[in-house]
Amino acid sequence: MQISDAHEMVKLEKDPNAAFALIIDGKTLTYALEDDLKNKFLSLAVNCASVICCRVSPKQKALVVTRLVKEGTGKTTLAIGDGANDVGMIQEADIGVGISGVEGMQAVMASDFSISQFRFLERLLVVHGHWCYKRIAQMICYFFYKNIAFGLTIFYFEAYTGFSGQSVYDDWYMLLFNVILTSLPVISLGVFEQDVSSEVCLQFPALYQQGPRNLFFDWYRIFGWMGNGLYSSIVIYFLSILIFYNQAFRANGQTADMAAVGTSMFTCIVWTVNLQIVLTMSHFTWIQHLFVWGSIATWYLFLIAYGMCSPVISGNAYRILSEALGPAPIYWAATLLATLSCNLPYLVYIAFQRALNPLDHHVIQEIKYYRKDVEDQHMWKRERSKARQRTKIGFTARVDAKIRQLKRKLQKKVSSLSIQTQP
Amino acid sequence: MNNVNGSVVGSSSGSGDGSAPRRNSKRPKYSRFTQQELPACKPILTPKWVISVFTLIGVVFVPIGIASLMASNDVVEIVDRYDNVCVPSNMTSDKVAYIQNDDVDKTCSRTLKVPKHMSQPIYVYYQLDNFYQNHRRYVKSRNDAQLRKSSQANETSGCDPEKRTKDGAPIVPCGLIAWSLFNDTYIFATGNKNLTVNKKEISWKSDRDHKFGKDVFPKNFQSGPLIGGKKLNDTQPLNEQEDLIVWMRTAALPTFRKLYGRIEQDLNAGDVISVTLKNNYNTYSFSGKKKLVLSTSSWLGGKNDFLGIAYLAVGGLCFFLAVAFTIVYLVKPRKLGDPSYLSWNRNPAGH
Repeated sequence: MQISDAHEMVKLEKDPNAAFALIIDGKTLTYALEDDLKNKFLSLAVNCASVICCRVSPKQKALVVTRLVKEGTGKTTLAIGDGANDVGMIQEADIGVGISGVEGMQAVMASDFSISQFRFLERLLVVHGHWCYKRIAQMICYFFYKNIAFGLTIFYFEAYTGFSGQSVYDDWYMLLFNVILTSLPVISLGVFEQDVSSEVCLQFPALYQQGPRNLFFDWYRIFGWMGNGLYSSIVIYFLSILIFYNQAFRANGQTADMAAVGTSMFTCIVWTVNLQIVLTMSHFTWIQHLFVWGSIATWYLFLIAYGMCSPVISGNAYRILSEALGPAPIYWAATLLATLSCNLPYLVYIAFQRALNPLDHHVIQEIKYYRKDVEDQHMWKRERSKARQRTKIGFTARVDAKIRQLKRKLQKKVSSLSIQTQP
Repeated sequence: MNNVNGSVVGSSSGSGDGSAPRRNSKRPKYSRFTQQELPACKPILTPKWVISVFTLIGVVFVPIGIASLMASNDVVEIVDRYDNVCVPSNMTSDKVAYIQNDDVDKTCSRTLKVPKHMSQPIYVYYQLDNFYQNHRRYVKSRNDAQLRKSSQANETSGCDPEKRTKDGAPIVPCGLIAWSLFNDTYIFATGNKNLTVNKKEISWKSDRDHKFGKDVFPKNFQSGPLIGGKKLNDTQPLNEQEDLIVWMRTAALPTFRKLYGRIEQDLNAGDVISVTLKNNYNTYSFSGKKKLVLSTSSWLGGKNDFLGIAYLAVGGLCFFLAVAFTIVYLVKPRKLGDPSYLSWNRNPAGH
């Protein structure tokens, strides 16, 4: 009955900024968790801003905090604890965070993440969680893109070989594609990419919402990247075939054989895929520059080195860059054309998005870039506080909410007083 | 581009007593790399950049396209298909029997008219259509070790079915690629003068010097019951057999041209060239086509308008995009860094 009373109280409260707290102890919890009361208890608890359970046993921790909430609301749950009695809860939750320290290492060993102080949880979520989400989403989409762009060109060629299974590329090219030539830039994207700096992440917790709302890994994006890969493969393949068709490709009248066409096509792919990741990244350290430009340079160096190996090993690729393709202007022209044609649609897309429908982190990036946060401190503070308002994340957010509530009460009192003083 | 040098946030010392000599702190050593604070440039795609990039691409591509198109237009090309017309009229119903019959004379005469002045060197090609030199079984049917050194003459692995004779002796050069060597020949004359065709140095120099040995001689070549193409001169080493070297470079597409030779004289517009060719090669079994091509070359190569047209198209498209974006930025300008575009300001109700 207490639960239904509390329910009514919560429903009747009209002030949107009011925050309720539910306090329950272990003994009462055993009754609240019985099957007939479970759901009422859960709906009450979910409507409160905080629920404090004291003197609960480890089993109850796992049962309440995680299984009930997880299955009842279907949301992702995070559990944090530091002692051995928290291990059940940590393992039951979707994400378990252990604090290493005074109570030993049991919680740390059972958890997915471990931190050394409780207050680091804010940084874990808002900075690293946000970055991680963006990095993983971008990395997976890009991986699909580059392999689709590369693999489909091999399929298209099959139509021209009577479906016999001949690959247009030398075996070594295909081996090195995913190992050296295009893997390091993706790794640097996945490890170092930051859309906004860590201070901005902490100041704008609302940016974290891009993760739960799944703005960057929805089906539109995935299919968009796959479509981009499909488009790139078509452009690269047909451009290479039609440029090298059957006429001479050099001033000395030689015609292009399969090794020349394959090498040229592969060069286009390496350039396209690496230029695409440059357009995707927004944070360039020396590592990114080294990996991206280094990958492209490695391709040319490999061609030269492979070409210098004995023809028994390199076959028709013997001296292909130094003798056949290097001096041919058509090779460089085809590379330039294919690379830029493949990257144009993505460039148009991001230019349009930034112009007409910018996302939050785009606007914040611009504010930082033009140093408007320094010029217009008032605006910066205002936006920061707005970003904290509805997220209820962070100690400062709660303090703000309390301050706002008190301010409103004070205003009401002041206005009622002024009404009284004015006859 | 600006460099961001961030400061460490949120992880200030927890112990609280900074002035006393530090206890053994467990805090890890600070480094820019591990704290992800490496100096970085964070470029922003501003309208200025977008329009400049598109304009730059347009400005670079359109002249390249025009130059390529002009180069391709300068090339003069004569293409003549002869496999269908060189079959004598009484044998057109069974062309395969005709081509396989060694008693029928395969000589054929064709006339070519020169449309524009062609300056030397004029390249002579033979073009084959519907011939899949890029078939996987065909491409691997060769042995590079055997081609290089005479000591490796017994290396015939991979050359099935043209590996060894019935007695087990190795075929040099082995494999289907060599076996199917093209064997039509062409003799050119204009007026009453013969045009010499220079058949030297039509292959890649690296092939002649390093891939085909100068001490490797053909052995047991085309000695079986099925003859696939040209017979080779046993006294000439492989590195001088340029037709073979050119043929062994397998083409990428089923329609391809291979260099036959060079004519080192100018031809004037209106000249009539008479070609005496030997129609030896069997393309009738698989409905292939044979064409004779005479072509000049430019700095870009042979006649192909595609590169020029593609460059012009992309360059034109970029100019159009630059103009379109300029219009978009003028009609719907968005002040950069305008906080009213933040999502909590745009729809304050939903979040």
